[in-house]
Amino acid sequence: MTITIALPSKGRMKDDASAIFDKAGLKIVAVGNERSYRGRVEGLDDVEIAFLSASEISREIGSGSIDFGVTGEDLIREGLSEADARVEFCARLGFGHADVVVAVPEIWLDVDTMADLGDVAADFRARHGRRLAIATKYWRLTQQFFSSQHGIQLYRIVESLGATEGAPASGSADIIVDITSTGSTLKANHLKILSDGIMLRSQACLVRARKAGHTDDPLVAKIIEAVQGAVA
Amino acid sequence: MPLINLPAFAADLLADFERLGTLRVDTPVIQPAEPFLDMAGEDLRRRIFMTESETGKSLCLRPEFTIPVCLRHIETATGTPQRYSYLGEIFRQRREGANEFYQAGIEDLGETDVASADARAIGDAIAILTARLPGKKLDVTLGDQSVFEAVVAACGLPAGWQKRLIHAFGNSTQIETLLTRLSSPQPVTGLSPEIEALLASGDDATLIAHLDETMEATGYSTNASRSPKEIAARLKEKRALEKTALDGRTLAVLREFLSLNMPLADAPAALFAFAQKSGLTLDGALSRFDARVAALGNAGVDAKTLTYRAAFGRPLDYYTGMVFEIVIEGSSAVLAGGGRFDRLMTLLGAKERIPAVGFALWLDRMEQALARPKGEAAQ
Repeated sequence: MTITIALPSKGRMKDDASAIFDKAGLKIVAVGNERSYRGRVEGLDDVEIAFLSASEISREIGSGSIDFGVTGEDLIREGLSEADARVEFCARLGFGHADVVVAVPEIWLDVDTMADLGDVAADFRARHGRRLAIATKYWRLTQQFFSSQHGIQLYRIVESLGATEGAPASGSADIIVDITSTGSTLKANHLKILSDGIMLRSQACLVRARKAGHTDDPLVAKIIEAVQGAVA
Repeated sequence: MPLINLPAFAADLLADFERLGTLRVDTPVIQPAEPFLDMAGEDLRRRIFMTESETGKSLCLRPEFTIPVCLRHIETATGTPQRYSYLGEIFRQRREGANEFYQAGIEDLGETDVASADARAIGDAIAILTARLPGKKLDVTLGDQSVFEAVVAACGLPAGWQKRLIHAFGNSTQIETLLTRLSSPQPVTGLSPEIEALLASGDDATLIAHLDETMEATGYSTNASRSPKEIAARLKEKRALEKTALDGRTLAVLREFLSLNMPLADAPAALFAFAQKSGLTLDGALSRFDARVAALGNAGVDAKTLTYRAAFGRPLDYYTGMVFEIVIEGSSAVLAGGGRFDRLMTLLGAKERIPAVGFALWLDRMEQALARPKGEAAQ
């Protein structure tokens, strides 16, 4: 059986992923020219490399049309319901670090924790005639974190696909759920992360679609072992 | 592919509704999504079927009847009291069971005799299920958020804590987490020396002015979201409470209350004894509770066969008082769920407060119960 591994198609993520695979003894060579979206692994004829965007990788791994993928844990957990049942996180690769966090305006001096935010959300409608608005592109993660973990139901998500940090100042939302690696963009927008507001510490991972055919496939085991060895 | 035929007993149900003097209404299957998300919260989003109109309006397939029926009542400016009934398909994304199924129910809007209206809703639900599911033994559980509200008020807890507890009522994990958290002091830290000084001075106006200036300077509108006044007030409240913790005695009282579980017929005496022993004054809430038990008797419901569970509630902020649910003995599948939602009508835009109580019947589960041989418990 041919095993397909999807790797990020551009940028730092692409270089870092190639470096890990190199170190694992799985040298990736592009098929055709340097910009090709297909590749293979030297010496392993049964492995195909597909270069895809990080969010496509999460989708394709969910549908099982690829076997392995390298992408951010945030994209997997946001993109797939019941992620752990559908994919296996084989290895954390040590790059692409970013936290998905709940951030509120710095000036909300009385709000430090999710419990504080729950109080504010519960009262919001009575005070402002609308629900607390959260700008985010992380619908699923936000719902899980707010509803399941903290029992906060009374909020509305305002979809934001870019410049989310600007939403509270521009008035299009009250708070945000967004990804941050250094926190400097949050700071520049006068936002602070709640003390228990880190929803997910994400990094690039090697993930495997849980497919029945993988169980006894030595090639699958070999790939996992090699990558795990490279990051150990 | 499963069939979505109406259950065989649908005609009988409609006859039941007519005999009960209700007005049958049907609402469009395609509904604006906004009111549902606004009332039930964002969590509902992944459990309903949503789409967008060509103009970008969020629409959904009707996930339940209460909100559409109430909205229609407000739009048509129908007078109260008015009792509506409905029977139709609803659509929800479910892990188990079909995504489209039938629900029927009654919404009783504007009846000011609350005890009788509560009793009538419970009595009607029991009578309908008894008639449609002959030979099945029903388990009816009843809860009442207003008794819990009276308990936390009588314990003399700070207003902010009362709100939190009431908000968590009905969710046992949340309540437990909250009780644990309130049992230890919550210091307010991380404030700048300037803010600390302003707080210590007790000069509210200057504190508010300072917050106002900071917001202006950092590009935040002072009226689009939380205002400087609101932030200052809550900060002061937190500071005032930071050394306070829920004392062991109050904690024990709350835990004892939440563990009450008994036949409804015994509940008035048990609640009275609990109040006496704990030294709490619950008179108003208890007399309303007793009136409901009496009204149930008048409606021909034997309170000995109902269970009162003090911790039973629905963590939705428009449920205000009595809630109930009915299962077949030994099963966990809820066949009927209902309760009082006095806050919903004004939240949906009614000009005046309209008391409301109602219940919904899950027709698919009733069918499954009928199909099951006697004595065999459901999942």
